Amino acid sequence: MTNRERAMNILHFKPVDRMPAVHFGYWPELLQEWAAEGKIPQSLADSWYDGGEADAALDRLIGWDFNWYRTAGAYNNLLPTFEHKVLEVLPDGTQRVQSPSGMIERIRPGVTSIPSEDDYLLKDRAAFQTLYRPKMQFDPSRVNYEYFKHFNETRDPDVPIGLHLGSVLGDIRSMVSVVGMSYLLYDEDEDLFADVVDAYADMQYKCVEEILKTGAKFDFAHYWEDICFNSGPLLSPVIFDELCAKHYKKRNDLCHAYGIDIISLDCDGVTDKLLPTWFENGVNVMFPIEIGTWGDQFEAARQKYGKGMLGVGGMDKTVLRLDKAAVDRELERLTRLSALGGFIPCPDHRLMPGTKFELVQYYAEKIKEIKL
Amino acid sequence: MSTILLNEISEKLQRGKAKDVAALVEQALAEGVAPEIILNDALVVGMNVIGDKFRENQVFVPEVLVAARAMNAGLKILKPALAGAGVEPLGTAVICTVKGDMHDIGKNLVKMMIEGQGIACIDLGVDVDAQVIVDTVKNNDVQLVCLSALLTTTMHGQKDVIDALKEAGLRDQVRVMVGGAPVTQAFADEIGADCYTLDAASAAREAVRLIREMRA
Repeated sequence: MTNRERAMNILHFKPVDRMPAVHFGYWPELLQEWAAEGKIPQSLADSWYDGGEADAALDRLIGWDFNWYRTAGAYNNLLPTFEHKVLEVLPDGTQRVQSPSGMIERIRPGVTSIPSEDDYLLKDRAAFQTLYRPKMQFDPSRVNYEYFKHFNETRDPDVPIGLHLGSVLGDIRSMVSVVGMSYLLYDEDEDLFADVVDAYADMQYKCVEEILKTGAKFDFAHYWEDICFNSGPLLSPVIFDELCAKHYKKRNDLCHAYGIDIISLDCDGVTDKLLPTWFENGVNVMFPIEIGTWGDQFEAARQKYGKGMLGVGGMDKTVLRLDKAAVDRELERLTRLSALGGFIPCPDHRLMPGTKFELVQYYAEKIKEIKL
Repeated sequence: MSTILLNEISEKLQRGKAKDVAALVEQALAEGVAPEIILNDALVVGMNVIGDKFRENQVFVPEVLVAARAMNAGLKILKPALAGAGVEPLGTAVICTVKGDMHDIGKNLVKMMIEGQGIACIDLGVDVDAQVIVDTVKNNDVQLVCLSALLTTTMHGQKDVIDALKEAGLRDQVRVMVGGAPVTQAFADEIGADCYTLDAASAAREAVRLIREMRA
């Protein structure tokens, strides 16, 4: 079987010869660590990105079968983006930076953490109309038609490749910050936030439609959202449903019409309150099922939502910093979860600094021993 | 009459109506309502309702943020009157995101909720060195240290702060509260923190308990 067949069979509850060894990439700092330890060539550490040549080379070196986050899509963000520029340097070295999304962030040279959200440009309808709406229009330059025309012949036939559907709310949160989103939802122009969501979604739908019309075939489709944190969703599930459900349905219906029936969604944090909106509107794979927030809830969620809920992820990546015994215990748990069907174990996010190269190799070898 | 006005302030706060809260606080002061009554029976009551609803998943982050913004609008009007009446805050907390971590959404949310309980906050910001926290505790009348971390790679900075407080002989003078996406009760126990809470509303409730405990 190819890995493509293995993955798709598992997600359709069909038999496979073995579990594929699937991952979700690495923190750049980890790859630099491994390069410094002589585990991987420096060139791979410097050039890695999801689905790139270095990703495939690392797969061979480690023993992975593929990276789930291997997708192709349109340029479906703001076009053009805002100029990335330093607005101010504070006495302690902190920089106030205007990001490509229009968010004003605080960064500190040498600190690689997610930046601090400081301010944002999309504060009122005038800013939406003049600064943002023009950047949310569909334009043919967003789609590499030539690439997608030849996609079926040129793609790697062994691994599943997803069509990236973009993001209904996650990108917009990145434009206005969590605070900004909250204020926009409750400030005087109550329709403004919904208008922003609609305008952005219309552009993303058109991008997806244009790609599918080229005849390119995908194994699955994929969203990025990240709209939850460790206590739950970043906004009311009712408001989320009102704003977003119709857009998921429209985009997912389009995918179904082109034969794509596996639609995965990447959202960190406690997602349970938003699952109904996603599942009722065509999303069926949760990814990466972080252990820190899901705990052992995958099985319970399967009981609640049935076989319409699939999963890729759920592997506690922190055991890869410990020892073989810890990895073995995690493998035992994953074997039990895999027996439910419709579940592909994958580290529950990017592998982080301190992860032991040999343990990753060990895990990649052992996960393939799970028979279904 | 003042009860109706105080209830109205609380209700407007819960709905995030900052301008209305500011105007009503001004009105209450003009009508001779004592500033500590406005603080405790209107603003804090309103934030407590929001906090309880947040814990029970009846409201979410946006509702807390707009309520906190309304609380701050009211406090801005009220602060000079509180100072004039000699009303002291319940206590003082130092709050920050630990070294190596720039993330501050959770930290800011906790700060707003704690301030909503009438506790003064010294916000040291993000990516804060343990020594800066130690110096702040040393130089201020602080009862509580609140440490946030978003990442598995930075959460160990919370332990560094606790160790630095011990080394400076200040550990027994303060209570240490930890939180953030990767932090768990087990981790909090392991590093010797006094308190871990899952959400900002619980953090505010625990902050009140810990400060009262320290001041008892």
